[in-house]
Parts: sequence; structure tokens; C-alpha cells
Amino acid sequence: MSKIIIGRYIPGNSIVYKMDPRGKIIATFLFIVIIFLANNWVSYFFLSIFTLLAVWATKLKPKVFWDGVKPLIWLILFTSVLQLFFTTGGKVYWHWGVFNISEYGIQNSIFIFIRFVMIILTSTVLTLTTTSLEIADGMEWILKPLGYLKVPVAQIALVMSIALRFVPTLLDQTVRIMNAQRARGADFNSGGLIKRIHSIIPILIPLFISSLTVAIDLATAMEARGYREGAKRTRYRVLKWSKYDWINLGYFALLTLILLLTRTY
Amino acid sequence: MKTGIKKIDLQGLVTLALLVAMNVVLQKISFGPATVKVGLGFIGSALLAYYFGPFWGGVGAVLSDLLKSAVFGVEGGFFPGFILSAIVGVVIYAIFLYQKPIKWWRIIASTLLVTLVVNVLMNTYWIHLLYGLDLRAAFLQRILKELITPWIQIVVLYVILNSLQRVKIRR
Repeated sequence: MSKIIIGRYIPGNSIVYKMDPRGKIIATFLFIVIIFLANNWVSYFFLSIFTLLAVWATKLKPKVFWDGVKPLIWLILFTSVLQLFFTTGGKVYWHWGVFNISEYGIQNSIFIFIRFVMIILTSTVLTLTTTSLEIADGMEWILKPLGYLKVPVAQIALVMSIALRFVPTLLDQTVRIMNAQRARGADFNSGGLIKRIHSIIPILIPLFISSLTVAIDLATAMEARGYREGAKRTRYRVLKWSKYDWINLGYFALLTLILLLTRTY
Repeated sequence: MKTGIKKIDLQGLVTLALLVAMNVVLQKISFGPATVKVGLGFIGSALLAYYFGPFWGGVGAVLSDLLKSAVFGVEGGFFPGFILSAIVGVVIYAIFLYQKPIKWWRIIASTLLVTLVVNVLMNTYWIHLLYGLDLRAAFLQRILKELITPWIQIVVLYVILNSLQRVKIRR
């Protein structure tokens, strides 16, 4: 439990920090889309170069990015190796039953490895350089068009900001409940599966009850302060689009163009 | 099936928000021996469906997914497909659990259906799309875990929903 860190934001003042969260979120989504365009060595080369430049632009230590990749490294390697054995085509180097190592297999597993790492790196750039509050504000703005489909965007935004505010509180609460139960002999890390399942209940039920209590109190407090359903309200936290965001989007437009030109059709 | 798109009051909204926060916290906790780690995220999805139904529960699931990424960083990247998976998961749980008595068969059916549709079919397909992984290889990689975890989830869900019922009555 103690290993959990809330918010992966690391303060800094490089150009990436000056960008609007909306621009960064859109860019991250866009990156997932254009990564599909890469399908040969040249396009993967440019993709990697651009990602590494974005990583470099954050001016953060490489170690923090390695920390983002580290928990998934075995999954990435396992996936690449599986891909290596299952792809057929090209020159066959080794063959046994359904497994074979072929020219395409080696190429594909390297591509998948690059893809994995690049996707993780870009989303790490976003979460490292943007506070979770900014991300939530950015997401709220992106959800706005859903209002035309009669989706209650204002209510959803409210739920999002309350939830975000209470994640650290509930995390603290969880740790406190676990410690309190431990003090009376609860054991969360040993015993068989069934015993462990039963050991979740003394955590979950108090957590649930305290959440319900908080919800009732908070709703009362909000109404006391004049919150009315559907009433028109103003915004205190406002996002501002700057020149750095045009640089950001221009950068992605350039990458898209390069990928379109270099990929094989 | 009740759709749950009914108007929700402030208290409902705040409760939903706290359940979402709880869901985000739960997704970070896993238990069991290192070989078969079972995450607790499914409890959050099932609770959202059980209390809020397919619509608001689905909203909660999407928000949990987004906030989890915002707070803890994204494991494996932003991909809209996984948001769709979260919605489908809650809708399946809601069909079986929303405003229904808790029965073994409901929990077994919903969990197995979620495992099959969401974890095995949809998520494997997303991984195939996202990483360009061979579909067979992606399937093979996931199937072992998905054969074991649903049975654990069924037991956990039954025990937890039954315990929570007592809480609900007291409220």
C-alpha cells in the first residue's frame, strides 16, 4: 500500500509544462491514432525520434520515464516474444510445431516493442507534466460536445471533480482502516485465497460506510452554499490556450505528415 | 431492464462521485499470491452497476477509467477502446444486478459474461489493435488468467454484495 503515490506530476518549467492540458490530452489521443500509420522501418524510426524529442522537451530525468515503463517491461517482452513465435512469413530461421521464428516475426516483434514503449512514453509525458486537476479540467472541456447528445455534461463534470478531490482522502482512509484492522489482528498478506477474500471485507465495508457518510455531508454542505441543480454557474478555474499549444499541435501535424509519406501502402 | 437514465439528485451525484473515487482506489489494490494476482477493480464496476444502473453506472465507470489514468498514470496508454470495455462491463453487471435481489446465479452469469465479452473478446481485440499484436498471440497471453480469475471474482462479489446489503438497509 505504501508504494502507491498519488499523482505522478513532477513540477518543472520546460515548454511542455506551459502547454494547455486540452492540447496535451488531444495530442496523446492523436498519437494513439497516428501510431497505427507506422508500418515500416522508416516510419517507426521517425515515430521514435519524435517521441524521444517530446520526452527530451520535458527536461525531466530519464529515470522517471523508466519508472513508467518498468512495471510493464515483462509484459512488453512477453508480448514481443509471443509475437516473434507466431508470425509467419519471409525467411524461416527456426521451426518447431506451431512455433517458428521468421524474418517477419523478428521484424514484427521489434515493431511491437517500439509501439509499446512509445505509447507508454507519450502517456507518461502527459501525466508527468500535467496535474490531475488540469487533466480533469481538460477532459471536461473535451466532453462538452456530448452535451448536444443530451448527455448531462455539467453533472458528469461535477462527479469527476468530486471524485478527483476524494481519491487521496479515500486512499488515506483505506490505509488507516487497514492499519486499524491490523492492530486488532487482521492479516491481509497471508493465508489461502478464501481467507484473503474474507480479509477484504473489513476494509471494504468501513470504506463504503465512510464514503456514504461523506457523500451525505458533502451534499448537504453544497446545498447550504447555494448549489442548485442545473442553475447557471461561473467558472473560477479557466484554461488558457497559448502559443505553445500551437507548437504542440504543429509538431503532431508534422509527425502525421511524415508518417503518411513514409509508410508503405 | 430498467435503464437508470432517471434524474439523479445531488446526493446521488455525490455518492456516485465517492464510489468513483473508491473505484479508483480499489483498482490500485490487488491481492492473492504473486502468481494469480486478482485486482479489485471489478468490485467497483459491480458496485456502480448495482447501485446506479447502466447509465449512471456507465458514466461512473468511464470516469473511474479516466481518473485512474489522470491520477496514477496510464498503464499501456490512453485508448478509447478500454473506455468502451468499462461501459460494457457495467452494463452487463447492471442487467443482472441493478435493483435485483442478490442471487448466486446472477453473480455467476454476470461475471462469466463480463469475463468473456469484456476481458477475453473486447480487451484482447483492443490489444491486438493498439499494439499490432497477432490476435492468436494476444488471446493466448490472456486466456490463462481469464480462466482462473472469474471464479475468484464470483466468490468475492457474492460475499461483498451480501455484506453491503446490510449497510444499505441501515442507511
